Amino acid sequence: MNIENTKAQMRKGVLEYCILSIIKDQDKYASEILGALKDAKMLVVEGTIYPLLTRLKNAGLLNYRWEESTSGPPRKYYALTETGQLFLKELNGTWDELRNAVNLVTNNK
Amino acid sequence: MNKTVNINLANTFFHIDEEAYNKLRRYLEAIKRSFSGTAGSDEIIADIEARISELFSEKMEHDRQVITQKEVDAVISVMGQPEDYMVDEDIFEDEPRPKTTTATTGRVKKLYRDTETKYIGGVCAGLEHYLGFDALWIRLIFILLGVFTGFGLIAYILLWILVPEATTTSQKLDMRGEPINITNIERKVKEGFDDVADKVKNVDYEKMGNKVKSGSRTFFDTIGDIFMFLFKVFGKFIGIILIIVGAATLIGLFIGLVTAGVVDLVHFPGIDFYDIVNTTGAPVWLVSILVFFAAGIPFFFVLYLGLKILVNNLKSIGNIAKFTLLGLWLLSIGVLIALGVRQAAARAFTSTTTINDSIQMVGDSIKIRINANDEFDLENKPSIDGMYFVYDESGNALLYSKDVRFSLRKSEDSLLRIKIKKDADGASFEEAKSRSSHIDYEYELYNDEVFLNNYLTTDRENKVRNQEVRNIVYVPEGKIIMLDASAKGTIGRGIKNDKDLYRKDIVDYLWVMGSDGELKCLNCPNNLNSEDDEAGSIIINEDGIDINVEGRNESFKMKIDEDGVEIKAEEEN
Repeated sequence: MNIENTKAQMRKGVLEYCILSIIKDQDKYASEILGALKDAKMLVVEGTIYPLLTRLKNAGLLNYRWEESTSGPPRKYYALTETGQLFLKELNGTWDELRNAVNLVTNNK
Repeated sequence: MNKTVNINLANTFFHIDEEAYNKLRRYLEAIKRSFSGTAGSDEIIADIEARISELFSEKMEHDRQVITQKEVDAVISVMGQPEDYMVDEDIFEDEPRPKTTTATTGRVKKLYRDTETKYIGGVCAGLEHYLGFDALWIRLIFILLGVFTGFGLIAYILLWILVPEATTTSQKLDMRGEPINITNIERKVKEGFDDVADKVKNVDYEKMGNKVKSGSRTFFDTIGDIFMFLFKVFGKFIGIILIIVGAATLIGLFIGLVTAGVVDLVHFPGIDFYDIVNTTGAPVWLVSILVFFAAGIPFFFVLYLGLKILVNNLKSIGNIAKFTLLGLWLLSIGVLIALGVRQAAARAFTSTTTINDSIQMVGDSIKIRINANDEFDLENKPSIDGMYFVYDESGNALLYSKDVRFSLRKSEDSLLRIKIKKDADGASFEEAKSRSSHIDYEYELYNDEVFLNNYLTTDRENKVRNQEVRNIVYVPEGKIIMLDASAKGTIGRGIKNDKDLYRKDIVDYLWVMGSDGELKCLNCPNNLNSEDDEAGSIIINEDGIDINVEGRNESFKMKIDEDGVEIKAEEEN
């Protein structure tokens, strides 16, 4: 078993949930999402996020709009759709349960 | 000093160092590949390019700064390696998919023409990738084979036509893909073992059974791969043999075709054969091409099959080409059969032209002499069916044959008679008749001597049609016959004589014509055929069958020849 692999798998598992959470309150473009994830040490390399964003968009959880940028190319601003909101709410519940469950298991040996 | 390239990345303009450009290009291609088949891959790539463009922009301090490998490396380390982009649908599976699996099952190498490093058609460059030899050696082999056998040239042209060019990135990667070779298989075997070892060490009891199972599956897969590899090698070997057989035959036929054409064009002496034998009126070039197609097309398919076995992604020659070739083949066969039938029909009829001559004899003896040819030089002259091609003094092209025989019979009156029978074949009775009448044959008949030529001639226009001359000399009863030694080669069979001698043995003695038409020997030794109590002979040759058995008191003779069957059995008491 490769420890790095396991870690990556753990992170990847909750990555979708994190992305949805980041754009819940405010529309964000890719670099901002990346910044937030990196600050939280959720992400090692940026590449992972692009296919995820596309997947979420294709699943109808996200949409985006183009916005001109003063420095560089135009940016894609992502926002949650209504389905995305519901999906996130569902995941919030699941995450709480999971956190409790993990806490329970790891603290009470 | 380095060259720079201008690029447009997500609608932003960058100067980039050439080496850095190549690195970036390879990186993006690798990412594209890892997304190929994923829904929305174009969009993902566009997003990634936009992000890379953004990262470059951040690093640029001024407009004229050039992006170097350092910046590209930095961007790659931020963005991650291509495999980091993979978001598999099975992300939450129990087992992370081992990287090696994706790497080894990723690409099966295919043969493409590499037009980037080509000299002519990129065939050798493509083979370099496919076989793993340096293209220089492959080119050298092709040139040597081309110069010495012509095989190289034909193989090259065929490969050029049939092997597709690597145009897309995916094709180029397939072209360079991982070869199926011993090293790779060895590596796979090791990986298989490591996998098993890994799983045995891992004491996860809940899933242990499952893992060992999957581990051994991989191991047996590897063994399967080895067998597949050996099988493939064997298959390729058969493919190579098919190619060699097909190509060699085609080359041989082609050389034959060209030779026949050239010979026909410049009129070598030997080609006259063809005109003389040929009855169908079909020109040499037509027959050559028909033969070429009839024999060549099946071998072309053999060659094609061989190439197909050897090269996975060979272009099909297409149904139109296949059916055209099939049609052409059937047509050639059909025409050749028709010509063959006509050729055979040309000899369907035999006809004879007979000349009779007679003279009053003086004296008691007749001498028979044979005139040998002294006019034509036959040495090293070509011949067909015993017919030689010669020219007379005035330069006429003639056919010359020694198919001349003579026989001896009893004359019904006191005249010395001679019958000259000239035979020839033809497609019709009239044709055969006319042809037989065109046989030139000379004899001289005197009142005590007969001169017979041992050869016949005919104009070359008459062609080789089994022309022959059969002479019968009719000798009056009681006349002595002296055969000159020159008659040995020309004397025919079936001459009745009281010693039952055969052909040239007759020539050695003096004979007198008996009243029953049988020759009586005048000077034969008494013990000629009664030396042994039991004697016999069986002679089988082109003239028929001759069986001769003699005992002390009995004898049995059987002759089967053109005149029929004759059986004679005698018993003396």
